[in-house]
Amino acid sequence: MRFSKLFRAEDSKAELDEEIATHLAMAAADKREQGSDPATAQQEAQREFGNTALVKDITRESWGWLWLERVLQDLRYALRQMRKSPGFAAAVIGTLALGIAAATAMFTVVDRVLLQPLPYPHPSQLVKIHEGDQGSRMLLDAPYLDIAAWRSQAKSFEQIGFYTYPNGRNFLGRPGQSVETSFLEVSANFFSTLGVKPQLGPGLSAAPESFAGSPNADTVVISDSAWRTLFAADRGVIGKSVQINGKSYTVVGVMPPGFIFPYDAFHTVQAWAPISLNANDRARDRNSMATYSVIARLRPGVKLTTAQAELSTLQTQVARGYTDPEMRADARHVRTTPYTEGLMEKSTSHALYALLAAALLLWLIACVNATNLLLARALARQREMAMRGALGASRWRLTQQLIVESCALSGIAALLGAAIALTMIRLFHHALKSHLPLPVPASVNLPVFACLAVLTLFSAILAAVWPAWIAAHAPIEPALKQGGQQSGTSRAHHRMRGSLVIAEIAMSLTLLAACGLMLRTIYALRNVPLGFRTDHIIVVNLDIPTYRFSKINATTDLYQPLLDRVSHMPGIDSAGLMTDVPLGRTFIMHIEINRKDTNGDNATVAAFFKAVSPDLQRVFGFQMLKGRYFNAQDTATSEPVVVVNRTFARAYAPRERDLGKVIGLQVMKLVNGKQSKQATIIGILDDFRQRSVDQPSHPEIEVCLPQLTPDSGFYTVLEGIAMDLAVRTHRPLAQVIPELRSALRQASPELANSNITTMDQIVEDSYGSQMLAAHLLEIFAASALLLCVAGLYGLLAYIVNQRTREMGIRFALGAQRNDVVWLVMRRAGVLVIAGVAIGLALAFASTRFIRSFLYGVSAHDAWTLAAVAAVLIVSGAVAAYLPARRAAQVNPVEALRAE
Amino acid sequence: MTPRETYRNKIEILQGTLDLLVLEILRWGPQHGYAISQAIRTRSGEVLQVETGSLYPALHRMEHQKWIASEWRTTDQNQRAKFYKLTAEGRKQLVRGRSKWESMVEAIGGVLNPDPQTEG
Repeated sequence: MRFSKLFRAEDSKAELDEEIATHLAMAAADKREQGSDPATAQQEAQREFGNTALVKDITRESWGWLWLERVLQDLRYALRQMRKSPGFAAAVIGTLALGIAAATAMFTVVDRVLLQPLPYPHPSQLVKIHEGDQGSRMLLDAPYLDIAAWRSQAKSFEQIGFYTYPNGRNFLGRPGQSVETSFLEVSANFFSTLGVKPQLGPGLSAAPESFAGSPNADTVVISDSAWRTLFAADRGVIGKSVQINGKSYTVVGVMPPGFIFPYDAFHTVQAWAPISLNANDRARDRNSMATYSVIARLRPGVKLTTAQAELSTLQTQVARGYTDPEMRADARHVRTTPYTEGLMEKSTSHALYALLAAALLLWLIACVNATNLLLARALARQREMAMRGALGASRWRLTQQLIVESCALSGIAALLGAAIALTMIRLFHHALKSHLPLPVPASVNLPVFACLAVLTLFSAILAAVWPAWIAAHAPIEPALKQGGQQSGTSRAHHRMRGSLVIAEIAMSLTLLAACGLMLRTIYALRNVPLGFRTDHIIVVNLDIPTYRFSKINATTDLYQPLLDRVSHMPGIDSAGLMTDVPLGRTFIMHIEINRKDTNGDNATVAAFFKAVSPDLQRVFGFQMLKGRYFNAQDTATSEPVVVVNRTFARAYAPRERDLGKVIGLQVMKLVNGKQSKQATIIGILDDFRQRSVDQPSHPEIEVCLPQLTPDSGFYTVLEGIAMDLAVRTHRPLAQVIPELRSALRQASPELANSNITTMDQIVEDSYGSQMLAAHLLEIFAASALLLCVAGLYGLLAYIVNQRTREMGIRFALGAQRNDVVWLVMRRAGVLVIAGVAIGLALAFASTRFIRSFLYGVSAHDAWTLAAVAAVLIVSGAVAAYLPARRAAQVNPVEALRAE
Repeated sequence: MTPRETYRNKIEILQGTLDLLVLEILRWGPQHGYAISQAIRTRSGEVLQVETGSLYPALHRMEHQKWIASEWRTTDQNQRAKFYKLTAEGRKQLVRGRSKWESMVEAIGGVLNPDPQTEG
């Protein structure tokens, strides 16, 4: 190819023209010399030369770069056409943009959340190791002695590292700046197990853990974002000190940007410090043993099954080291799981894929619609194409021009679609963040861009090739004849367009069915009786700076004064404290209570464990089944008491029919020690929703806050980590919140920045992924319905337009208006019924993929399907109305005269 | 070996042979397109009449392959025309083309006139 000539294209062409003109002139001159007159000479010379234009064309083509010029020419023509009929262009662009936007947005989310590789090298080799009884499905952390045994004897692993979360909320900072963050204590080989080195500094000491005190105990590695926030990206940060929970640590490393561990969005760990082994790690004592989460890297080439088998064999020996028979039973089984597996529940990933499928379905509908539009257009331009063919354009040339046109349209649609997708992601960012366990992007990255390009290309091809092929292969003569507009359309063409509309209707029905099911789910969720009141309750999620309050008695020094202050604020009906409000999900404490089975076997009941203040019942209105709730008489010096819910009572005393007998049973010790008494059950609450609205009740035990003292073993976990303050008030939010904040600040400065929300909002948030899926499906289904109706309307309008003459003849022959309307409606009816039938089958087959989202309605619910079918039929009737009316208003005289 | 060239239209001459003829004509000095077609016609005794649809693409192609070079000059009749002349590479190509043609003629002759007695 002669690109150099491309830039002087005009010159080259002019040269060629001149060369040929010269040839002709000389030939004519020769002929004149031979005796012909000038006119004949000219003619003969021309005749001998041949088709000048064709010769020029062929020669130019041998230059090799002509195709580019032609494409540019086609592009310019396409843009001119778009300007001439902006409505059509807008329709096609809008349709395609909608489909591309939906598919791109969903794919962005799926790519980031499901497909993105972890930021560690060879992440498939990373496994988690848990101990635990196969049957109980509990995954337990392992004590140090077990880990040491594995390290020395298990051959399948290259490295075994471990880590743990210190209890409580952690605050990382420097003097003057303090931020709440997550903080991890890790083994010395932790980072080398993951395979990531710090970007600055040497990192944690590689000396293995030992029971002797290590001089490196107060070192820490911080994350890239902590480095930027606290040290302003100062490269001399190594050796500087930073405070964690008031204690000073030396910074020995900064992790690279983008490094996250653990890989989830709930904990943003900003600092990693070494684990110090102490007396608790020397023995396997049930009460004091420290356990760690284990992450290990397999040796290259070792399969997970091999490693699992080796560890299982090894573990039977290791378990003998346990003296407690119960613990030995638990420790006997060991489970390895790939690290990538546990990151998201299967149901969530299935749901995401289902939503992606829905988005792709919408894209398909959009493409089908665009194809229909382009087909109609190609038909209208038959005469133009025929003319060009007659002038010498080859079939390929015509096809190429139409393809370029549609590529231009879909290119613009892709740009528009990308913009819409970005906006959608931004709008849904908050919702996505709270319901997906992994960080969600706000931008378009390379794989997504590639996906966008592929979608655009396919849209263009799908929507263009077909009409282009038809237009290019249409016979020329009939189109050029008079009246060709009316008779040129073949039955095959109509059938094709009809089947496209049927396909659209079928796919739309599927989307509408999914949407309908989701809406019913939401409705069912909203109407589940929660078991407590949610109106007019303000909730404050207190961030307790644990380290500050370990020295004091938080009950008397912090919480009680706070409660008193808040209760006495004007307009407050009642106020209470609870470790975690129902559906709050800020902090859930589990406890296992032993009970004696009637057989004498030991069994346990796993229960939620919360501390509450007595007034809480006035705030939430919990229903008591039996007995009483806490009251002012329950103090630190009175009898220890607990309140349980019905599920707990059933689990704890399964043989007891009468719940009243459960009252008075002794359950557990609030305070360790020989003198202390067991706490008795004094009341049974009716079940209420705890974790989420669609899950049944879990056993729950509540203890009275005033009864907890620092001596109690549960003091720290129930009071020192999280506490929610619930306030019932009739005053408007805007007035109460500032007063609340000042009361909090008076109690302790850190509390002033706590998150304040309402109970209604918490309930709303807890609907979680169902709401998100419902919103998305609403958008998809509404778009699909719109496209469908537009497609049907377009087809019918076109048919009526084509057949105006026929209508006129019918009227002239005596047909009534109604007959003609019926004709149109019948055509529409056939299309809609066929589409609905196929759509129902499709919906039946595919709604089971969203089964995990549904609540209160089955995936094959007949009412929903019937309702959706009815919606489509009505929409079809609406779409057919205008064309039918237009058909009925055809004036026979005019129709016969036209064309 | 000359690379195979594809001609869009039917030509009445074997592929590659048109190039050979043009190069041979130009051996006698630079000529413009009309003169080349006239020369071929005359020297073949009015047998070979090259279509302009083959000639001009061939000329442009050979120019791209650097076998011939072009320049605009004025003819005796004071007409501005594009003259083509042979380059060094073109000369080599001519020699190659000639020997290829001769071996082709011999080969075809061998098939058409099988005579074991006469030895070439």
